[in-house]
Amino acid sequence: MPEDGSQQRAGAPGPPDGGGLRVADACKTYGSGPGATTALSHVDLDVPRGRFVSVIGPSGCGKSTLLRLVAGLEQPDAGTVSVCGEPPVRAAERKMVGFVPQVPALLPWLDVLGNVRVLERVNRRAPRRAGRGGAPVDPVALLERLGLGGLLHRRPHELSGGQRQRAAIARAFALRPDVLLMDEPFSALDEFTREAVQLQLLDVWQEHRTTVLFVTHSVSEAVLLSDTVVVMARPGRVEAVLDVELSRPRHHDQLDSAAMHEMEHRVRVALGSAWTQDAAPDETRGATRSATRDVRGAPPAGAAR
Amino acid sequence: MRSALHPRTWVPTVVALLAAGTVWTLVARDNPYVLPRLSAVGAELAGDPGFYAANAATTLGEALLGLLVGAVAAFCLGVAVSESAVLRRAVMPLAVVLNVTPVVAVVPALIVAFGFGMTPKVVVTALIVFFPVLMNTTTGLRSVPRPVLQVFGTVAASRLDVLLRVRVPYALPYLFSALRVAFPLSLVGAVVAELLAAGATRGLGTVISVASSNSQLGTVWAAIACLALLGALLLLLVSTVERRVLGWHESQRPT
Repeated sequence: MPEDGSQQRAGAPGPPDGGGLRVADACKTYGSGPGATTALSHVDLDVPRGRFVSVIGPSGCGKSTLLRLVAGLEQPDAGTVSVCGEPPVRAAERKMVGFVPQVPALLPWLDVLGNVRVLERVNRRAPRRAGRGGAPVDPVALLERLGLGGLLHRRPHELSGGQRQRAAIARAFALRPDVLLMDEPFSALDEFTREAVQLQLLDVWQEHRTTVLFVTHSVSEAVLLSDTVVVMARPGRVEAVLDVELSRPRHHDQLDSAAMHEMEHRVRVALGSAWTQDAAPDETRGATRSATRDVRGAPPAGAAR
Repeated sequence: MRSALHPRTWVPTVVALLAAGTVWTLVARDNPYVLPRLSAVGAELAGDPGFYAANAATTLGEALLGLLVGAVAAFCLGVAVSESAVLRRAVMPLAVVLNVTPVVAVVPALIVAFGFGMTPKVVVTALIVFFPVLMNTTTGLRSVPRPVLQVFGTVAASRLDVLLRVRVPYALPYLFSALRVAFPLSLVGAVVAELLAAGATRGLGTVISVASSNSQLGTVWAAIACLALLGALLLLLVSTVERRVLGWHESQRPT
């Protein structure tokens, strides 16, 4: 009953910004001195609850850093990140965040079902879903939905790459997260497998309507999956935010539609302009660096725009 | 996989054994003070099996107890050290110094300290076993891939949860490869301590040192054969347990 579920979740006593996630003026620099790398430079991002947002950009543009900040795995140097109005670390403590890394990261000694359930058993003190409504997700049903119903008791080494990644997706959805973070989850899959898994992801997402932040390298993947595509550029800034006006539920026939091509074209143009600016002389980088330093030196009140 | 009964599996082993036996026999025929005849060794073992069994039991008991003490202590310290950087910096230099010191050199001092009973043998064995287990435990606990830690990080899993549900299982293959070295090493520890404890009365090491000072080479080699058998049994034991516990790990899969 997807409708019911989303009703209850929307009705839950939520923070004023209504859930979703918000990144405000986030900066992150690795290292210091002349060797420092700017990963994020004054990034603002607002993802309303229930939206599927892809982040795309060249390598080293800070997309993965952005994801790790939202996941609470790293702290921004300046600026704020909130997940449903909570700081990421609090959100993690309440098990509101699901994370699908680039590799499946399954535990090799557990079978598929065991891997999907293992996160249930940790951090049991996370305030249980009171107010978040709905019965807990049945992991078996979820795995069946993702086409792994017959492989519940296989170990990861007995699975194909696509099956492993689907198990990792099931593990994340089984948490019933408010926000699902995916870091290029399909980049290691071959083309056919990737398309199949994309559709299965959409199918499950359509039911759960989790807020998704999806990092990818693939323009067509970003457009096919998302409501919004965020184009990032080096060093660590948002180049463009493009809404995808394609009907849902999506399917692969749309891959060849004119609307899809048009959308992909717009994303490519934005990426192209990001690339041109990136190739610009070094002053840009130097300027960004000093700007970042300024922000880091300024009191937090000043940094919040 | 070929059956173990297939001639191609067992013929090379048998041929090698026969060849070794032939060489031994040839050497022993003309040089009774280099090697005793195999028949003499066999007769020695068959003549008083209870004697060898009792002494083997003593040595095995010392080895296993030392192994237990050394491996458990090393594993616990490995966990502690991997969880605390301060402890790591405090303990690891000491552990390395301990490792580079030849344990054999410490044995006489231990015998002075603990007498001719079981204690010095257990201590020596534990010392010998300690370092490989410690090093492999710490390496194994740190072998968890980053994405796995990130997945557990995003649900705020406690350190204890990560340790017990992730780090320790990831460390098991490392622990077992340490144990495969440590089990046979434990016999070395026990026997060396027995050899150097001049007043001891029991154990295969004692049998060897007494018999060799009386030039009873048959007895010496009978005791050595018992030690070889014990070593093989210990290795078999650890490999069997490893196969049961680590069915999931690459090292245990047929290639």
